[in-house]
Amino acid sequence: MSAVVRRVGLSLFGPLLAVLVALVISALVIALIGQDPIEAFSVMVDLGDSPAQQVQSIVVILNRAVPLFLAGLAVAVAFRMGLFNIGVEGQYRLATILAAAVGAAVVLPGPLHVLLVIVVAMGVGALWAGIVGVLKVTRGVSEVISSIMLNFIALGLASFLLTGPLRGSPPGASIVTTSEIPESGRVPGLNGLLTAFGLAEPRSSLYGFLPVAVVVGVVVAVLLERTRFGFDLRATGLSPSAATASGVDARGMVVKTMLISGAIAGLIGLPDLLGEQFDYGTEFTAGLGFLGIAVALLGRSTPLGIALAALLFAFLDRAALPLQFADIPASVVTIIQGTIVLAVVIANEIARRLALRSAERAGAAAGSGPADDGAGGGAPPGDSPDGGRRVRTGVPGTPEDVQA
Amino acid sequence: MASGDRSADGRGAAATGDVPLAVELRGITKRFPGVVANRDIELRVRRGEVHAVVGENGAGKSTLMKTLYGEHRPDEGQVLVDGREVHFRSPADAIAAGIGMVHQHFMLADNFTVLENVVLGSEPTRRGRLDLAEARRRIAEISDRYSLGLRADALVEDLGVGDRQRVEIAKVLYRNARTLILDEPTAVLVPQEVDELFANLAELKREGLTVIFISHKLDEVRRVADSITVIRRGTTVGTADPRTTTVKQLAELMVGAELPSPEIRSSTVRETPVLRLAGVTVTDSGRRPVVDDVTLTVREGEVVGIAGVEGNGQAELVDAVMGLRPLAAGAVLLGDEDVTGWSTRARRESGVGFIPEDRHRQGMLLDAPLWENRILGHQTRPPAVKGPFIDRRGARADTARIMREYDVRAPGPDTLAVALSGGNQQKLIVGREMSARPRLLVAAHPTRGVDVGAQSVIWELLKDARAEGLGIVLVSADLDELIGLSDTLHVMLRGRLVATLDPRRVTPEELGGHMTGARTTAGAA
Repeated sequence: MSAVVRRVGLSLFGPLLAVLVALVISALVIALIGQDPIEAFSVMVDLGDSPAQQVQSIVVILNRAVPLFLAGLAVAVAFRMGLFNIGVEGQYRLATILAAAVGAAVVLPGPLHVLLVIVVAMGVGALWAGIVGVLKVTRGVSEVISSIMLNFIALGLASFLLTGPLRGSPPGASIVTTSEIPESGRVPGLNGLLTAFGLAEPRSSLYGFLPVAVVVGVVVAVLLERTRFGFDLRATGLSPSAATASGVDARGMVVKTMLISGAIAGLIGLPDLLGEQFDYGTEFTAGLGFLGIAVALLGRSTPLGIALAALLFAFLDRAALPLQFADIPASVVTIIQGTIVLAVVIANEIARRLALRSAERAGAAAGSGPADDGAGGGAPPGDSPDGGRRVRTGVPGTPEDVQA
Repeated sequence: MASGDRSADGRGAAATGDVPLAVELRGITKRFPGVVANRDIELRVRRGEVHAVVGENGAGKSTLMKTLYGEHRPDEGQVLVDGREVHFRSPADAIAAGIGMVHQHFMLADNFTVLENVVLGSEPTRRGRLDLAEARRRIAEISDRYSLGLRADALVEDLGVGDRQRVEIAKVLYRNARTLILDEPTAVLVPQEVDELFANLAELKREGLTVIFISHKLDEVRRVADSITVIRRGTTVGTADPRTTTVKQLAELMVGAELPSPEIRSSTVRETPVLRLAGVTVTDSGRRPVVDDVTLTVREGEVVGIAGVEGNGQAELVDAVMGLRPLAAGAVLLGDEDVTGWSTRARRESGVGFIPEDRHRQGMLLDAPLWENRILGHQTRPPAVKGPFIDRRGARADTARIMREYDVRAPGPDTLAVALSGGNQQKLIVGREMSARPRLLVAAHPTRGVDVGAQSVIWELLKDARAEGLGIVLVSADLDELIGLSDTLHVMLRGRLVATLDPRRVTPEELGGHMTGARTTAGAA
């Protein structure tokens, strides 16, 4: 039992250490630019004076966390298989503009209209990511390279569509957007729920997409941890050679995983699109795909961890505005986020080694074999048979590991 | 002949003499999680000799050489170079101490010239720029001095295997190595190239360099070496003088004298074939056949042993049977079904069990718990799976059963696989494969790197399974194992089955002769 507690403790140890290290580094940076770190941090944790302000702050955090969570999931699904999908950014941007256009072009009864938008977004995201998978298995193109390249193409394509065929805003408007999605295609907010719990009515509306994201998270968790498909996927991520020998079709898995990753990526823009913006424009939230990589890393590629990481990042993002009011540069937030990601990669590796060492001790204690068997377990595994020691921090290995 | 100009100097100067040993290893022990790769190794190499380190595959030769080359640090023991104790933290330290390594698999940049490859990493510079003239001069000097015949401006991709090896040797010499480690240098060469290599080694020796020559080809070792150290199961078992030692004696040292008593065993071979290979040919990247027209039959209750020096196509043959590698020609039949085009999964589902050669690479998920490893390779079958879902409880329960029945020593099904010793990992794999009640078991080196206790357990399991009608393809480098378990024994050499032997009558020496090709070409020594 205590072994389980220990393992859970170790899995929390990495991210917590990372956050702590990031805070210390950020405090140093804030002090260096001549501000008071304590004051900065207190501004960041101050959610507001009145209950209404506090509820409003929490709604802002949650609304930001929902797309971050989805982005983290999209990246994590690929991570778990050893693929680095950097193309989430392009996948969601392209998916969102096409979903926005389709949503604006049709009129359907409420739930169906929303469903159509969701299906279009997931389809477009999956297709765009699928290109990466197909290129990898047919031509051996590294998914890192092709997904970055496809980001540029996607962003260019989205700009072209926005200013050209899909333009809905009147000519000369300062912000170019697609046409608005009608009422039937929007996801109503959840503020009714908040007031029902006796909370103050916030100014912003809590996204109705929140429960959808939760469902997606649960589905991904079940898919990864409880299904045969998820087992194949994780096995490929842990050891491509062992997975292939066990009968996993590595090529097929690459394509399927990219399709799933892309489909989830397609959802990233929808909370904003269907909950607040109702159209895609030049001002539409950008950069979520890249933040998703950070969130997935911090969350160690597990849905629960990603949810916590998304909340943390959203909390930090919200602090940007109050910091500016307090005359502290908002880039403090970016610095903290950046150092967290950097620290988490290191901390995860340390935690992994500690976990391995404790596992080895447990094994050595149980096996009553020869006295010298496994007693010198200082060296990490994997550097005996093939010399190649794979670092598993949630970052996938080298691309050729999964080369079909 | 390389044996003609064997130098007699230094022979009298023993360890305690005035000439310090070029390399001395004392009590080297190296452990990896779960395995002791080297135990109490003693190696003494005199200056100016060709010293062969022989042993079977998996005996621990490569681990030892990595220790000497600074690729990892020994857990116990001392390394002495020229009489002084050294502590290498990286190959750079070893190079600085005058030790160079020529790897079995060449580490050359194909799209660079010979010159560029040789200087890569220690480029001579003049005012911050690559000094090509100086590099050219030094390479020409090395090439002339040791008769390497290098063309500095040739592209490496245009060179043959022998030339590439000479480039590797030049690389090491360029870094002023006084002691060269050659890891299985002849494995990739054809006989003519082997002769050239041995001529090069004679040149090196004449110039006073020391060569440590790693091999398991006994006839070659006797031709080229001045002294021999034999390694078996991770430890040094003896030294030999090639002039007075026969191949037979060497082989006995190498495989151990404790051959199992030729037990009178009732044959369990039945008539029904479970696996038939017809003209199976596998090529490497579309050119050279690595498995060449192999035809064999495995019947129910039969163990078909494949003997051979590693790298003669056994691994590729196993891949072909498992569907991990496409065939260039031929067919694989499982029972009466042609499974040539089937996926690995389909083959496994139709009753093929697999004990892979490298369990860490192909047999296990080291960072996953044992119950997940129970599922690996059996993702589509109960008890671990219910429909599209993983049956966690079923998998755990069945893992506990395997641990009980196959004596896998571990705290429980939730233990990470990496925590187990090699023997326990292997017992789990054997138990897992047997639990699926296969028709055919493909076992590649099933007892490699496991302790003696686990080895006998695994042998018993295989015998019992055979008695129940399981057909087994057994690929191994352990001659005891092959002779003791097989009903039919094929010898594989350069991708072909070159001999079929009766394991009840063959001796390890005869088998060894066939494996190295000495038996068929000449009468052998």
